[in-house]
Amino acid sequence: MPITTTRRRLLAGAAATLALPSFARAQGVKPRLTAISQWSAGSDGAAITALGKKFEEKGGIWQHSPVPGFTTEMMNKLRAQIIAGDPPACSQLKGPEIAAWSKIAPTVNLDSVVAAAGYEKVVAPDLAKLHKPGGKWIALPLQIYSTNMLFLSKRAMDKAKADKVPVTWADFNELAEKMKSGGVTYPIANGGTRPDDGQKFEASLAGISPTAYRAAIMNLDKKALEGPEVKAAFAQTRKIADWMDPNVGAQPFATNAKRFIDGDMGMMIQGGWAQGVLRNAGFKLEDFIITPGPSDNSKPVFLLNADAFIFWERKEPDLQAGQALMAKLVMDPAIQTMYSQITGSIPVRTDVDLSGEGWSDGQRRTAAALKDAVANNQAVLSLAHNMAQENGLTAAMIDVLTEYVKNKTIKPEQAATRLAEAVEGAR
Amino acid sequence: MRDRSFTPSRMLIYLVVVLVAVAWLVPLIVVILNSLRSNEEIAQTSMIGWPLKWAFGNYLTAWSDFCVAQTCAGIRPYMLNSALVTIPATIFSTLLGAVAGYAISLWRFRGDQWIYGIVTLGIFLPQQMRLLPWTIVLRDTGLMNTLTGLVAIHTIQGLSFTVLFCRNYYVSIPQELIRAARIDGAGFFRIFWRIILPLSPPILVVTIIWQFTHIWNEFLYGVTFTTGQQQPVTAALIALSAAVADIPQHGVQSAAVMIAALPTLLIYLIGGKYFVRGLTAGAVK
Amino acid sequence: MTDTVAAVTRTARPTTSGVVGRLPEYLTIWVPLLLSAAHLISFSLWTIWISFTPSTLVPVTGWVGLRNYTSVLATRNWNIAFDNLLLFGSAFVLLSLVTGLMLAILLDQRIRGENTLRSIFLYPLAVSFVVTGTVWSWLLNPGLGIQKLVQDLGWTSFRFDWLVDRDMAIWTIVIAAIWQSSGFAMALFLAGLRSVDSDLIKAAQIDGAGPIRMYRRVILPTLWPITITVIVIQLQFAISTFDLVRALTNGGPGIATQLPALVVYDLMFQRGLLGRGAAAAVLMLLILLAVLLPYAAWRHLQRRRANHA
Repeated sequence: MPITTTRRRLLAGAAATLALPSFARAQGVKPRLTAISQWSAGSDGAAITALGKKFEEKGGIWQHSPVPGFTTEMMNKLRAQIIAGDPPACSQLKGPEIAAWSKIAPTVNLDSVVAAAGYEKVVAPDLAKLHKPGGKWIALPLQIYSTNMLFLSKRAMDKAKADKVPVTWADFNELAEKMKSGGVTYPIANGGTRPDDGQKFEASLAGISPTAYRAAIMNLDKKALEGPEVKAAFAQTRKIADWMDPNVGAQPFATNAKRFIDGDMGMMIQGGWAQGVLRNAGFKLEDFIITPGPSDNSKPVFLLNADAFIFWERKEPDLQAGQALMAKLVMDPAIQTMYSQITGSIPVRTDVDLSGEGWSDGQRRTAAALKDAVANNQAVLSLAHNMAQENGLTAAMIDVLTEYVKNKTIKPEQAATRLAEAVEGAR
Repeated sequence: MRDRSFTPSRMLIYLVVVLVAVAWLVPLIVVILNSLRSNEEIAQTSMIGWPLKWAFGNYLTAWSDFCVAQTCAGIRPYMLNSALVTIPATIFSTLLGAVAGYAISLWRFRGDQWIYGIVTLGIFLPQQMRLLPWTIVLRDTGLMNTLTGLVAIHTIQGLSFTVLFCRNYYVSIPQELIRAARIDGAGFFRIFWRIILPLSPPILVVTIIWQFTHIWNEFLYGVTFTTGQQQPVTAALIALSAAVADIPQHGVQSAAVMIAALPTLLIYLIGGKYFVRGLTAGAVK
Repeated sequence: MTDTVAAVTRTARPTTSGVVGRLPEYLTIWVPLLLSAAHLISFSLWTIWISFTPSTLVPVTGWVGLRNYTSVLATRNWNIAFDNLLLFGSAFVLLSLVTGLMLAILLDQRIRGENTLRSIFLYPLAVSFVVTGTVWSWLLNPGLGIQKLVQDLGWTSFRFDWLVDRDMAIWTIVIAAIWQSSGFAMALFLAGLRSVDSDLIKAAQIDGAGPIRMYRRVILPTLWPITITVIVIQLQFAISTFDLVRALTNGGPGIATQLPALVVYDLMFQRGLLGRGAAAAVLMLLILLAVLLPYAAWRHLQRRRANHA
């Protein structure tokens, strides 16, 4: 089975497209966009469908092919299309995978459209870097979540007789104890999936020291990986795990939504998406508080998770016109507003005004936290949601984290050593 | 009819069988109950429970209403896609497997044991391992994103099972039957058509049941080798369940599961009797 | 050996008519068989080749020797998966065999409602693994399923929390797998029981054999070939178990219920390490061979004995 033909085809494709001044020729045809994403149902599906409607309103043909399931299945589909020499005009991809995948098939250079829109100025720097591997924009982020938002159950707060939201981990631990003695069965109400377990650790480490997080998780510095902050983060993770319902298994966090609202469980460390989930499940926004996750230096830490589209090189003029239109739409503040209001995320652009109708307090607080965090250099990339490292490394690290959360006999020091070993083994 | 009387030992047999049967039914009952509860009710109470308010509307939503991205037509179109792949692939793999099994067991040709051994080893080769090679094959044959490609894959892969089943069934047909027919001047196909096929219904039921359920329930190839409009029903089911950032749609999802499982359940209910009879008739050697 | 047997039995082989006239029959026999064999052989060779290359997201040429193998063998994931396969494989095959045989014997007692009962034991085969895994993940979850139900009924100290217990979680997969597939074993055994020679049974009855003695001495020994078939089919099930685990435990708690098929898929497609995934797949095939070769040898011996008799 000669795979070499693929490479030859790819090179041929690249050479052919080099001759085209990227979007210039795309005038005068009806723009068409083929897109692959995993967003098929719920608010994700609704949001991308709304985006497609806008695309059609501008005179385009929207050909979105959702691949339901885990991200893996979406990537299988993308891989198959690339191997077949027929990549979609644009596809969902995020984090460092953008750089990895851009090596296997030619992508579109978006520098001119990004410059024309003045987009770079309004995107968090760490985020921008991910979408321009090799210095050129080839992908555009669409929406942002923070993975370490703290959700507090109003009823659990009442039981604990507490009215202050915790700011540092010490506050957080104190509140959890108060909840416990106030009759809240489990102060923490998280799910038990792999990303859930990863989130508990990343929230701990980033909250203890964003600098250490950057060094250990984003730059994989060996000394930092076994440093005191990482061990402290594992110790904090253990506390969180001990306050959780041991029966959660591998259920998603939404399974506990009812007990959280009832005050049988107290707090969730979750991404902003949890707000939409709770709302769609029929619970009221007054039943819970959303606040940035604990940070020991009292300034908000933002664990960035951003969904994005990568643009694949296509020769067809209508697809190129479609890509140009899509790029313009994705960067448009009005489109980002529409999208985030459906999914519960916040816009990528830091210059969107969230004071108006249609935004929740949680979203406003998240956006404010992002601004603060960027200003203080405390916006870091989420490990649990594949933003900090390529998938191979991420999964190897999450193996250690999930084992640690589920196996209480592992000591923090041991876990730190294992984490460093896992990084070494996966490199 | 001494055997049908209710002696204590027979009571014990009934007790055990009925208890096991009840245990076997529990998962089905849970899904049926959930299919009649609203999404909100399940989210706000528990995954297992009696419906507080009967939500028959779930079935309507599942059948024709819920959205997979921009297409809001329920699982109906996906059921059709699955049928378009499953029915031809089941027929082709069964017929080709029957002919091959007949040739291997009753005609004997050079290399028959070798090819039989290799083909049946295929039942052990995991699906995941074949995903990428199939991608390359589909690229080179130009069948990527076509239902034809999926039918071809399932036919070729299915042969491993159908040849195994059919060969083992036909091997118990006496050689004399073939010999006599040959003396009468009948050829390969004529014997298959006139003698073998009329003897085959039991084993054909077995292979059809087996192939149909496996292809109908397949997901990995179904989403990788099709575009959005051609996806099989399993993809629509996953679309309902995998939205991590959303309230689980357990009510509608369960209703969709029931509808999607209907064809295979029916096939088992109707064919189950023949399944055992078919196996009795010789597929077990 | 096949040649000598074939020479004896190849009586039905056509002798004269031209090759051209018999072309349709050659094509119908050989084209599907060769396509099937060719894809199996070439896909296996392709995987073996990829396992020696530095492939990541897509296949590439290159040579890294055994590096993919050594790094897979060094991961905790693979080692846990391997141990689990041994435990899960043997427990599942044995228990589904026992369950299937027991159900078949019970159903064979000329009981009322046999059709209904048989359908009940068979229906799980019709359901997809993803659905099975999901439903069992509810039932076995101590906070949602059976444990909660029993506790709510008043037996508050009742515990059934294997799903969240690292040491016992693999058994939840055994339970779900038995539920799903022992109907098949039952059907095979039932078929076998029904085809036992009635003269044999009558003779034993005349000798005054009781029911237990009858099963042990007369009926069960005739089921031996079926048992082998059941074992082979269930082994295939055990080795390729994938969707079920993914939906039931997704390898957890932690990584306690990893299985080789899960590791292969995870490496190849989720982690984007094709070379290592292929190496894991080859290791999986080697495990398979280790199981199948003794079976093939046994079949070979058996056939030889039959031919001599």
